[in-house]
Amino acid sequence: MTDEQNLVKELVGMSTLEQTRAIRELTMSFEEKKNIRWIINGTKALAVVQKWLCQFFRRCSYTMRSARQALELWHGIMKEIGGKFGTSVLTYFLFLKWLLLFNIFSFVVNFSFITVPLLVYGPNITSNVSFRGLELLTGAGYFTHTVMYYGAYSNETLRHGVEYNLQLAYFFTIVVYMVLCGIALTFSMASSFKKNFVLVDPASTSAWQLLCSWDFSLTGEKTVTQRKNNLRESLSEKAQQKLLTLREKLKHSGIHLGSWLVSTALVAGCASSFSLQQEAETLLVPFVVSLMNLVIPLFFSLFNKFEHYSNNRSQIYSQVVRNVLLRMSILGVLCYHWMNEVSQRESFLCWESMVGQALYRLVIVDFLFLMLGSFFGEFLRNVIGTKLHRRLGPPEFDVARNVLDLIYAQTLAWIGLYFSPLLPSIQILKFFILFYLKKVSLTQNCQPPCRTGRAAQMQTIFIFLLFIPFYVGAISIVGYTAWSLNPSQNCGPFRGLDRSFSVVELWMAGLQTLPGSGWAVWIFENIIKSEIFYFLITLIILAITYVFYQLIQGRKMLIDLLKQRIVNEGKDKSFLLDKLQNLQKSRPKKDTKHGRVCYQTFSL
Amino acid sequence: MGATASQLDTGKLSEYEELTFLTKQEILLAYKRFDKLVPKEEKNRIDYRVRMEDILELPELKFNPFKERICKVFSTSDKKDGSLDFDDFLDFLSAFSESATLEIKSHYAFHIFDFEDDGTLGRQDLKQLVNCLTGKADKTSLTADEMKQLINNILAESDIDKDGTVNLSEFQHVISRSPDFVSSFKIVL
Repeated sequence: MTDEQNLVKELVGMSTLEQTRAIRELTMSFEEKKNIRWIINGTKALAVVQKWLCQFFRRCSYTMRSARQALELWHGIMKEIGGKFGTSVLTYFLFLKWLLLFNIFSFVVNFSFITVPLLVYGPNITSNVSFRGLELLTGAGYFTHTVMYYGAYSNETLRHGVEYNLQLAYFFTIVVYMVLCGIALTFSMASSFKKNFVLVDPASTSAWQLLCSWDFSLTGEKTVTQRKNNLRESLSEKAQQKLLTLREKLKHSGIHLGSWLVSTALVAGCASSFSLQQEAETLLVPFVVSLMNLVIPLFFSLFNKFEHYSNNRSQIYSQVVRNVLLRMSILGVLCYHWMNEVSQRESFLCWESMVGQALYRLVIVDFLFLMLGSFFGEFLRNVIGTKLHRRLGPPEFDVARNVLDLIYAQTLAWIGLYFSPLLPSIQILKFFILFYLKKVSLTQNCQPPCRTGRAAQMQTIFIFLLFIPFYVGAISIVGYTAWSLNPSQNCGPFRGLDRSFSVVELWMAGLQTLPGSGWAVWIFENIIKSEIFYFLITLIILAITYVFYQLIQGRKMLIDLLKQRIVNEGKDKSFLLDKLQNLQKSRPKKDTKHGRVCYQTFSL
Repeated sequence: MGATASQLDTGKLSEYEELTFLTKQEILLAYKRFDKLVPKEEKNRIDYRVRMEDILELPELKFNPFKERICKVFSTSDKKDGSLDFDDFLDFLSAFSESATLEIKSHYAFHIFDFEDDGTLGRQDLKQLVNCLTGKADKTSLTADEMKQLINNILAESDIDKDGTVNLSEFQHVISRSPDFVSSFKIVL
């Protein structure tokens, strides 16, 4: 009874909101929780108004929670996929949904701040090319002079009661969106990292972890039986871990080295073959790019078959790294070509629109190849596995490869944002169709994955990959374009300027004449434009990082000390128990009742 | 279960909402599914306890290796027969919901894995756990040597005070280092 009284005393001291949360988190049955609440409500005397207010706020928060759940996109489908295929396959679909939200936000922002003012109040855009169906594929033709691309945007300042500078709007919308993306990615990466990596022993793929991570949401009988079988295999593997001899280790390292060399050579070969391409405007370049992205990873998986990995995770990681290297180098070569050659060429009227069209074509062809890849990789492979070569069986859903495809597609959209503000709309359509396509392909063609797969850690790796190579690369391209390259003289919102960033400089110069805004100009001149400031910031951040690192080392030492202390307490406990038993044995002629009482008072 | 057989009154609904981690829609859906398990003649009885055999027919639990343990752990019946009334059913869904905290999940996971109901996970509990997850519950699917090695590894890793069993705090410590646990310990209707 005293436990309950202590609990009630503790809960009465809290505010109503905390109290509700604390009661919910008690590990008791529903009846007992109701009991506790009844006792608390009896002991606390609240004014009627206050009670009503608290209830009102609570109802609001619950309604918001329910509403959020009702609006969640694809909730039923996600549950179905999670039930049949497990959480690791579900991470792909969750990732797809998350990226879709980025694109929806980008489209809404771009459309409202850049396109709508132009369409409603801006000058009319004349085009003498009629619409033919081919535009959907090439992005050129009719689309060239529409609001789809950079070239159609004007550099005027609209004056309809309110002044609206289209140049500044274009610049700031793009920049602010990219910065917000960066912040969102940083936060989700940091929280995911903290949850899944820092608190986890990195080397432990231990048996205990395998047992505790049984996926309770699996509902299919076949899936459950298969998981059980695989768990049994993994456990018996762990129980018989054999050590490799030196010779075997050398052999494995040699094979690894060889595979990496060949992979890097392949990637370098692909990248250099692009420098021979002079024409960036044809459909051939996107086709070749997508073909390489489809075919070369097949070689990588071939190498994988010869290599031997100690655990499943390093196998996936090495495959992912190779694929990332391939895609980054191809994209890098293309961007170099656009930045250095296309922008300097005098024959183009509007080089930004050309680059925008090239990116549009890349996005469309990438989508077509994704569909083809799904057809060959999943449908045909299923047909082969079930009808022709029965031993192979249906294919598994390759989460790593598919997520990498998504990240690559999103990078194309991010790079293309500056040159084609409405590209996110194409991306939204693409992701929408892709979701349903992959879902159908998954349920019809694939079998549930064999290994349980470390879904949470894989998710962290994917977000990390999205951020570090791809997002940073995209924002560097956009930054370089805005900072260093000359905009076209005849089209687009930055025509006539030396470089796009001059828009901000001109605005700041204009602000100087306005009273009361001296501080903004001062900040711009002395902080944003000065290099000393960034140097100092970097030094300070490095110092703080070093301090945190030392703190972590100290905490690690503390954890070891505390663990040792627990072990010692356990030893003390068993020592005392042994001593007690010896004492009891050495006094055999004790009254049994008295002896029993004695024992009870000493039981720990 | 309310005045009419097919509706939950709003007072009870808000009480359920406050004391569990479920949202209103989830509670209503649970009510609908629970109602289907109640035979027609008992529909007007409040606190009717559905038998364990009927609960185990739910598609979410049908092929779960821990289905009997789940029913036994969440049941508050005096006969200890695993029967659940609606409050117990909501308790079960709340512990397995997305918003439940790690402490709640690890607490209930500990009790589900504690086959002998003695408050700690001893060698026999661990052996039964492994059997449950790798094949038939009564037949050992690993060899005796493998099983011994495996249980030794488990105890070496998680038994911090070296008393031969894993108690609740040690279990929670291991779980806190396993990031997949929270996302795997989920059942949604």
